[in-house]
Amino acid sequence: MDPSTSRPAVVIDNGTGYTKMGFAGNVEPCFIAPTVVAVNESFITQPNRSSTKGSSSWLTQHSAGVMADLDFFIGEEAISKSRNSSTYSLTYPIKHGQVENWDAMERFWQQCIFNYLRCDPEDHYFLLTESPLTPPESREYTGEIMFETFNVPGLYIAVQPVLALAAGYTTHKCEMTGVVVDVGDGATHVVPVAEGYVIGSSIKSIPISGKDVTLFVQQLMRERGEHVPPEDSLEVARKIKETYCYTCADIVKEYNKHDKEPAKYVKQWRGIKPKTGAPYSCDVGYERFLGPEIFFNPEIYNKDFTTPLPAVIDRCIQSAPIDTRRALYKNIVLSGGSTMFKDFQRRLQRDTKKIVDARVLASSARHGSGVKAQPVEVNVVSHPIQRYAVWFGGSVLASTPEFFTACHTKAEYEEYGASICRTNPVFKGMY
Amino acid sequence: MILLQAHSRYLLQILQNRVQNLDKGVELDCHWVEFDDVRYHIQASIKTPNLLHLSVSLPTPPPEIDFSGGLPLGAIEALKTAYGSVVHILDPPKDGFNLTVKLNLVKLPNLEEMKQNLLVKIASVREVVMGAPLRVILKRLASRSVPPNAAELVPLLHRPNESFFIVPQLEKVTVVFPMRFNDSIDTVLATSFLQEFVEARRTAGLNNAPACLWSSTPPNELKEAPQQALSANAGFVSFVISTRHVEGKKLEKTVWSLSTFHAYVNYHVKCSEGFMHTRMRRRVESLIQALDRAKLDENTATAAQSKSFKRLTIEESRGNSH
Repeated sequence: MDPSTSRPAVVIDNGTGYTKMGFAGNVEPCFIAPTVVAVNESFITQPNRSSTKGSSSWLTQHSAGVMADLDFFIGEEAISKSRNSSTYSLTYPIKHGQVENWDAMERFWQQCIFNYLRCDPEDHYFLLTESPLTPPESREYTGEIMFETFNVPGLYIAVQPVLALAAGYTTHKCEMTGVVVDVGDGATHVVPVAEGYVIGSSIKSIPISGKDVTLFVQQLMRERGEHVPPEDSLEVARKIKETYCYTCADIVKEYNKHDKEPAKYVKQWRGIKPKTGAPYSCDVGYERFLGPEIFFNPEIYNKDFTTPLPAVIDRCIQSAPIDTRRALYKNIVLSGGSTMFKDFQRRLQRDTKKIVDARVLASSARHGSGVKAQPVEVNVVSHPIQRYAVWFGGSVLASTPEFFTACHTKAEYEEYGASICRTNPVFKGMY
Repeated sequence: MILLQAHSRYLLQILQNRVQNLDKGVELDCHWVEFDDVRYHIQASIKTPNLLHLSVSLPTPPPEIDFSGGLPLGAIEALKTAYGSVVHILDPPKDGFNLTVKLNLVKLPNLEEMKQNLLVKIASVREVVMGAPLRVILKRLASRSVPPNAAELVPLLHRPNESFFIVPQLEKVTVVFPMRFNDSIDTVLATSFLQEFVEARRTAGLNNAPACLWSSTPPNELKEAPQQALSANAGFVSFVISTRHVEGKKLEKTVWSLSTFHAYVNYHVKCSEGFMHTRMRRRVESLIQALDRAKLDENTATAAQSKSFKRLTIEESRGNSH
């Protein structure tokens, strides 16, 4: 038997904002690090060094930066490095849920495996994740890197929303039908899944995501004239979003509350200016509830896209096959860091319910009093591990014995090439 | 990152989190695996938040190594001197593990700096345990005491079912690594990496580094070694460690570097593969660009042609295409 199947699989969920990595069978990922790489630019811009051959020039080669391909950092270290010195510049390998820069991605994985998890990739099966709209080419690329560079014995590329559904697997009974509302930092998808199959034609994605909340908070603070140093303002906005933002029930009432009792609702943010080191403070006011509000009233942020998230969910379910709709309404699952705002689940449930009830009422009015419609149950599920629900689902899945049989193995890769990663079994039926 | 760090990053993170939130008792139950098949398991209960149970399992030893009580020689003493009263060794260890210790976080020193140092030390438990026999030998070298079994071959465990060999002498210690790799590409890369390694040692800047040799056949020191230990597909590397490499604080570093030498080479082989892919990708991109430039003309040409509509019979269209 392959000894690597006796070791826990490595589960890495690469998101636009944060990467969650760890070992299968644990309840929490080992590390949650920002998906960012700080590369030493002086190395990239250097002229071709292939002419400097020969052993005698080893030292000159060394100082010229032969080792410079190892001179990079990821995660929090990358952010602090780039702030302290100008030789490093930040690269975000994933944009809008898709890998854009494969060089950076490969380096990111390299550090994840060797520096963070400190495991030998030849010893473990790997479970990686992808967004439901990933093209097959990018899946092939992932397979190529994993098998060629890291020599992994087996690889499974899972679809994020399906894993998010699987995360509910242990808490309730095995429910593999539902709509996953995945609001990440770079992409928002509404994905219906029926019995473990993704209904590909009904996937809806909207151009508003966690990043936009950050930008909106930044914009609001700038317009009010808070004294935040400009080079730090995005980072501050992100921190404010993560610590203070919440979802309100009614925007007008919330304004009144804030005006009546500013002492209770207006928070203070304290920071230190990166250049001078002088402390500063600023107020955090309406943006606390206006930030998350862009999901429910997108017109306050974006003129081009004005469909609120509950309406998108409703449309998504309405476009799914008719026999799955009731089940889908019953299990709307939240996943992704940007669904963590307080009361997000309650608001989403209320607004979706309102749309559904209005439609049921209208149709029963059309049919007259003779037909009595059975009420549609709308249920938005949230669980405490929402932030890394995808990772947790992966961990649950990769600890089942069937996982190892569903993987693409190194032998298969060598026999058929990267094309084995093209098709995803989820779209065929295995979850 | 060029060298692997001695402490497990995850274990350190757990310990630091725990120490900061000592009053908030959270249940903890994690297991993970590091390179060379070292497994960890850490447990804590809500009732006694200051007690942590840490279990470590080591790689399976090859037959030539004497593994008394499931631990390398001198490991228990090494643990006791490194940690003092914070760590209590439980006997027998948890099922499936070689070592189980009970950490009492209340007994950590109060001084912040000392506390951090000790936490890092605990996170490097693997170095303390697996490096114990090597440390004993190198300590003897540092104190220049006569080894009891001079010039005798000592096998030491570093990977599952694999060992490296040590020949202790009065003035120097020779360390020999048989290098094995699973993948054929890895083997080639590792071989040239090791040759380059020897080459690099000869440059002026590295005069004080341990002498380093690489050969494709087993060196003389391994005459008495068991046959199965001599099959190495990437050759044999030997280092000669002299007293100046084990003085004072250098000792710990030398122990760690030697006991993880294989992992270090493996890491760099993977890195160079990654680097090569980066170069290949850049090359492909430039070739595709060249190809696209050529394509563009063709497209405009066909677009111009397709403006005229003329119905063709099959034969005519065949004639056209020729």
